[in-house]
Amino acid sequence: MAKTDKTPLFDRVFKPEIITLENGHTVERPKSRVPLILALLLIAIIIASKSTGFDFGLLISRFGQLGVILGKIFNPNWEFFPKVIPPLLGTIKMSIVGTVVGCVLALPISIFASSNINKNKPSLLVIRFIISVVRSLPAIVYAYFFVLVFGLGTFAGSLAIAFFTFGIVAKMLYENIETIDMGPYEAMQSFGATTLESFWTACLPQILPQFFDNCLYCFELNVRNSSILGYVGAGGLGLLINERVGLRQYNDVGMILLTIFVVVMTIDLVNDWIRSKIV
Amino acid sequence: MIEFKDVSKTYPNGTKGLQHINLQIEQGEFLAIIGLSGAGKSTLIRTINRMIDITDGQLLVDDTDVMSLKGKDLRRFRRKIGMIFQSFNLVSRSTVIKNVLSSNVPDMPWYKTMFGLYSQEQKLRALEALDKVNILEKAYNRCDELSGGQMQRVALARTVNQNPSIILADEPVASLDPIIADVVMSDFARINKDMNITILINIHHVDLALKYATRVIGIRAGEIVYDGPASEVTQEVLNLVYMGKAVPTSTDKVEIEGMVINNG
Amino acid sequence: MNNYSENVLEKLSSEPKNLWKRILIFLLILSLVIWGNTGSNFNGITEKGMNVAKAILYGITHPETLLLFNWTSKGIPMLLLETISIAFLGTLIGSLLAIPFAFLSATNIVPKWVSLIFRSITMLIRTIPALVWALIWIRVTGPGAFCGVVTQSIASIGMVSKMYITAIENLDTGVLEALDACGCNTLEKIRVGVIPQLSASFISTAIYRFDINLKDATILGIVGAGGIGFPLTDAIANARWNRVGAFVICLVLLVIIIEWISTKIRARLARGRS
Repeated sequence: MAKTDKTPLFDRVFKPEIITLENGHTVERPKSRVPLILALLLIAIIIASKSTGFDFGLLISRFGQLGVILGKIFNPNWEFFPKVIPPLLGTIKMSIVGTVVGCVLALPISIFASSNINKNKPSLLVIRFIISVVRSLPAIVYAYFFVLVFGLGTFAGSLAIAFFTFGIVAKMLYENIETIDMGPYEAMQSFGATTLESFWTACLPQILPQFFDNCLYCFELNVRNSSILGYVGAGGLGLLINERVGLRQYNDVGMILLTIFVVVMTIDLVNDWIRSKIV
Repeated sequence: MIEFKDVSKTYPNGTKGLQHINLQIEQGEFLAIIGLSGAGKSTLIRTINRMIDITDGQLLVDDTDVMSLKGKDLRRFRRKIGMIFQSFNLVSRSTVIKNVLSSNVPDMPWYKTMFGLYSQEQKLRALEALDKVNILEKAYNRCDELSGGQMQRVALARTVNQNPSIILADEPVASLDPIIADVVMSDFARINKDMNITILINIHHVDLALKYATRVIGIRAGEIVYDGPASEVTQEVLNLVYMGKAVPTSTDKVEIEGMVINNG
Repeated sequence: MNNYSENVLEKLSSEPKNLWKRILIFLLILSLVIWGNTGSNFNGITEKGMNVAKAILYGITHPETLLLFNWTSKGIPMLLLETISIAFLGTLIGSLLAIPFAFLSATNIVPKWVSLIFRSITMLIRTIPALVWALIWIRVTGPGAFCGVVTQSIASIGMVSKMYITAIENLDTGVLEALDACGCNTLEKIRVGVIPQLSASFISTAIYRFDINLKDATILGIVGAGGIGFPLTDAIANARWNRVGAFVICLVLLVIIIEWISTKIRARLARGRS
């Protein structure tokens, strides 16, 4: 009886095939789900193509244009480099401030979003929902709002990055906290420490390396992504990219992209070095 | 003194953990609790520092009604009861001394806890506790570099550092090999004698229990079926406690359920 | 303090001193943050900014519900469908395109120099932000949702192939040996020994990327690559906050729901049918 309740809908609609062996034993072979999934996928593709106006012919006929643009991008204008530096520094500054602020805020909140520390179900759900909401808006939308409220410039960008970072790091962190060994926490409770004291002394040392790792990862992500925030006026490289693309100066765009590439690579290397130190 | 007065514990799912327990334990006794897995040994031990609430009867520790304690009072009460776990429950990424020092945390102001600032005096006491269990040389090693026996001794040092009057040990030697188990048990015995600390131990190894404990409690299905000196534990007593099934006589790491299956 | 034994005191003196190191690291991060704040333009919130903030909050709490039931191409349902479609097609094409890249970058399949070349290409693709890709593609396809699809197809390759590579390099070669022993040819080996091992993790990667692409697709519209992004920024620019509220709420719900579903599917792929 319990079995029929647990049978997935699919297996109730498409009854499993019963195979009888020569010795009379039977085996149920569930019907393959692949045809159904493929059919659904096909329908989805048709709907999506209609809704986006998918046009392969256009792509082929205009493909040469891409070659021209990419050709210019891969032939960067070196003389443009000095002009890249100031907004690049702006981007890095925004990323540092935003990452640090976001990570520092994420740490205490994620403690209360972990089901093994916070036993109060309603507050747990509310906090998690807030984290989800914060995470679901793209950084550039935040940046747009903050530019309108605080004026053009890097402050709005830093704030937007802080929100974005908070969302990601808090989620990674509470998932992390839920996998730690709760034994030491129990021990601390057994000799009379409060919840907070127990967490701080018994759980924090376990999550700190992972936390720093997440922060570094986020910093790299932020440098990469914050280069677009300037598009809505939040400072950094985005403004310059927008301007150069508008003027069709793709060699300059190439220089900007090359700079980002080198910076991201450098940060990646430094991060790897720091990681090898802390783990 | 610990006093159980007709104590019962029924879990929310209806399982009876303890039934009508009456028990008096004097200060400085070394008590071993034996019984099958699931007989209620852990429940009995954990009610004493109220890691588990009792549902009936009265439990007095040094004339304090345990069930009447709440919040701050409960935490202050727990300060004088140490607890040892089968899985050691140490922060494996931290150093040995940090683990020992963690038992000072409840007495410290929050800002010192926050930055882990322990005084010179506290550090010396922690080192001395480590010296008592013969593991001083590992003080600044990380816990994950230690063996199981060493980790359990660190856990013991953490508890000693807390300066308790009672130590509750929930199967402290179950995951150790027989020789190390013997060493750890002798550590318990020494601390019991030297510091006059009451010790309650849950243990599967009957021979270790008889060797070190002064008093043995046999539990079966949540009820006490034997309570007397270790010297008077006979084969009949063990048959009673273990439901007439085979009794482990070696210090091997053999699960008792496993023995039951082997013999049945 | 004088009743402690010799060896205890001696041990204490050997305590490693790392407090200074920590203070130094803390100061380093602090100075970085301070440097990061130089040139920041924060000089208090102006009265105008305050009013805008109030208007935004008011708009978000009082969304224009009419848009929800507007079934034309300007209404929210169609815009969301378009956004999802962009992410869906972009992910599909991107994760297919990533397969050859991944195989040509896996060190256990091709020689080292070949893998290095393809790894650098994917690295380059990854460095260019999606929005910049969109700006480039607009010159090719013209503005519209199609541009978004093409953008995401290319922008997905970087990350997706990186995760594919890990899966390929973790292939259990024991199975291939066993198939060799059965006398299978290369094609049979791929069909029976390789595809079943990779398909679950490839699909899981693609679904994960779909999550990310959906979030990206919401902003591509800012540069004119279709989806909900353009009407959203348009509404912000024209200060139609009730409309912004409606867009933002729907966006948040969509992203949360899709993320929830994708997490469920991926958990099931990892666990197998239970």
